[in-house]
Amino acid sequence: MQLHRSRIEGFMPIREYAAIGDGRTVALVASDGSVDWLPLPDLDSASVFAFVLDSEQGGRFQLEPTVPYEAQRRYLPDTNVLETTFRTGVGTVRVTDAMTLPDESVHPFRELQRRVEGVSGRVAMRWRVEPRFGYAQTRARFGRRLGVPVATTGHDALALCAFGAGKSELRAEGWEGMFEAVEASTALLALSFAHQEPLVLPQRADLDRRFEQTCADWRRWTTHRNYAGPFREAVLRSALALKLLVFAPSAAIAAAATTALPEEIGGERNWDYRFSWIRDSAFTIDAFLQLGCPAEAQAYFWWLMHATQLSAPRLHPLYRLDGSTHAQERSLPLSGYLGSRPVNVGNGATDQLQLDTYGELLQTAWLYSRSGNRIDRDIGRRLAGFADHVCATWRQPDSGIWEVRGEPVHFTQSKMMCAVALERAAQLAEQDLIPRRHLARWRTEGEEVRAFVETRCWSEHKRSYVRFAGAEELDASVLLAVLHRYEDPRNERLGATVAAIGRELRDGPFVHRYTGEDGLRGSEGAFLACSFWLAEALARTGRAEEANELFDELISLANDVGLYSEEIDPASGAFLGNMPQGLSHLALISTAVALAEAEA
Amino acid sequence: MSIWGALAGGFVGTLVLTTAMRSANELKLTRIDLPFLLGTAFTTNRTRAKALGYLLHFAFGLLFALGYYGIFLAIDHAGWWLGAAFGGVHGLFASTALVNVLLPLVHPRMGSPLSGANTITLLEPPGFLMRNYGPQTALVTVLGHIAYGAIVGGFTALAP
Repeated sequence: MQLHRSRIEGFMPIREYAAIGDGRTVALVASDGSVDWLPLPDLDSASVFAFVLDSEQGGRFQLEPTVPYEAQRRYLPDTNVLETTFRTGVGTVRVTDAMTLPDESVHPFRELQRRVEGVSGRVAMRWRVEPRFGYAQTRARFGRRLGVPVATTGHDALALCAFGAGKSELRAEGWEGMFEAVEASTALLALSFAHQEPLVLPQRADLDRRFEQTCADWRRWTTHRNYAGPFREAVLRSALALKLLVFAPSAAIAAAATTALPEEIGGERNWDYRFSWIRDSAFTIDAFLQLGCPAEAQAYFWWLMHATQLSAPRLHPLYRLDGSTHAQERSLPLSGYLGSRPVNVGNGATDQLQLDTYGELLQTAWLYSRSGNRIDRDIGRRLAGFADHVCATWRQPDSGIWEVRGEPVHFTQSKMMCAVALERAAQLAEQDLIPRRHLARWRTEGEEVRAFVETRCWSEHKRSYVRFAGAEELDASVLLAVLHRYEDPRNERLGATVAAIGRELRDGPFVHRYTGEDGLRGSEGAFLACSFWLAEALARTGRAEEANELFDELISLANDVGLYSEEIDPASGAFLGNMPQGLSHLALISTAVALAEAEA
Repeated sequence: MSIWGALAGGFVGTLVLTTAMRSANELKLTRIDLPFLLGTAFTTNRTRAKALGYLLHFAFGLLFALGYYGIFLAIDHAGWWLGAAFGGVHGLFASTALVNVLLPLVHPRMGSPLSGANTITLLEPPGFLMRNYGPQTALVTVLGHIAYGAIVGGFTALAP
């Protein structure tokens, strides 16, 4: 029997990761039972485990049989609790991993539970915990409190509470142990993390109760979702993946759970996605509303309005999960995933001009109000201010939705979203939800934006809207014109553009973002969200059969537990980029809803 | 020194404090909005929350003025400068403990660092020195409270 999936230079393929989380942070668990990524205390904090970014010094939490095995995984039904079953020649053992949710007891600041059940036979298990605080840049002190192994550094501390998992020994700045899992036996390894407070050392009964409560809380949340279409399993898994990315203390939603997983192996496109992008806001609010999550939709909209308050009427493309804008990009001295450097934290795109964000934000407000939510006077004033700002700035070149690092240009999708911004503002004003004194100006400027798009951003040669004014290259982001209703989807030019993108950017189920330069060296994989956008655009332009075929293919590209990263290498099928990626899952939900509407 | 002076100072001081905070808000120095934070503890209607919050803020302003008055009585001294010092301490307490730690614990719609996926919060937690609401928030809050304290102290001392 062989190992389930061998590592390359210590790195597991990105596809092999499942995510668990608690609404504050997310851990990545590999199919060989190793927790290779865990920032603490929050999703955007420094990591304690970063093996996925450096297989020598990153740190991880291994737990696996000592003999060769095959591993099979699933999430416990309707939860974000992961179950890995290891089948060996001498027996079977089941590991269940959960980041537990807070309850009424004195619970740890953050808690990771790893529960080991013997299913059959006798399986020797080994584990090793190597905490490496501060992205492996901060040395920890190892010791014991009341016999419990602890590692401390500054105002952070980590305790390993083990029950029935053998004796722990400290070796090379890590704890390790072995035990035998026999049929019907249970062992438990729990990491208790403290931040600016004393460590909580939980008892076994507390851990058991909190685990059961965590499973129940996830199930309760999932049973209240109201998608009833044919892709229920994929949609609910995507909803659960999104819920993992919701930062509960503020209601912000992160674009992904990781940083610096490469868009090209060995390349430099290694970005930190642990921020909330305005770009994703319309899809996010739509997904929440479509899935019957009005409370999440309201919380997210309130967060958006709070976060954008200080910079209004100017928008940053992205905001920190606490609503601030400081996101200075820097490189960590880590080796990177399979040598992909730099390992970036922070994101320099925060200071770019991205005009499409105004369209996304006003589309978000429009969707929010259309579903019966109230927009109060202060917020209405601010939304009107954004529309005024669009009137003043839409003629400028920008960095576009893809945040190109070259010279700004007049991106077509940015201009289209400016037109959407002004149209949504006008619609909100007509309903007296926002001040209407500049309504006429929004209409006039909106017409000018559209005239620019129709005369400068359309290519008769390509029979398509192009990437930017005067270009002959195509860009899949223009599909958003269909999804966000820049024009009626039956518009001839939109239909022709969908066809052209299908011809030139599609490779099987894969769709590339664009052709041409973007100011960076190297290339990248196919962008999964673009594939879903194409499927949705096909559905909305009356080509439902093609849309369904493409969607079926895309569903089959998910990993074994139903998750997607940002990109896929069309040649090998390998996942690329950060994982799990919110936009991929948002696009899946949006497409599934569109397909259901097309059939209705 | 009189209790009526302290109450009058509390009213005027809260008026000044509220106006200063609101002005800082409009000047984009901070996102903090104390009446809004207080009012949303009782309603999710933002407009009603602000109206209710202003009432509550003035009530708290009077209560704190009575607290100041008690201390002035105990040390048998009141004045603008002493009040300003009290206000400074009050502002620091508000930034580090009252709004940062205590409010998230009692506010049903405010997140805290402990909020998990089984809760939905409408308001982000303030963070240490309320920096989540903008880096200038602590400065604005402390200055506003110094003005409040000075007015309470001065009015208390002036009243016969």
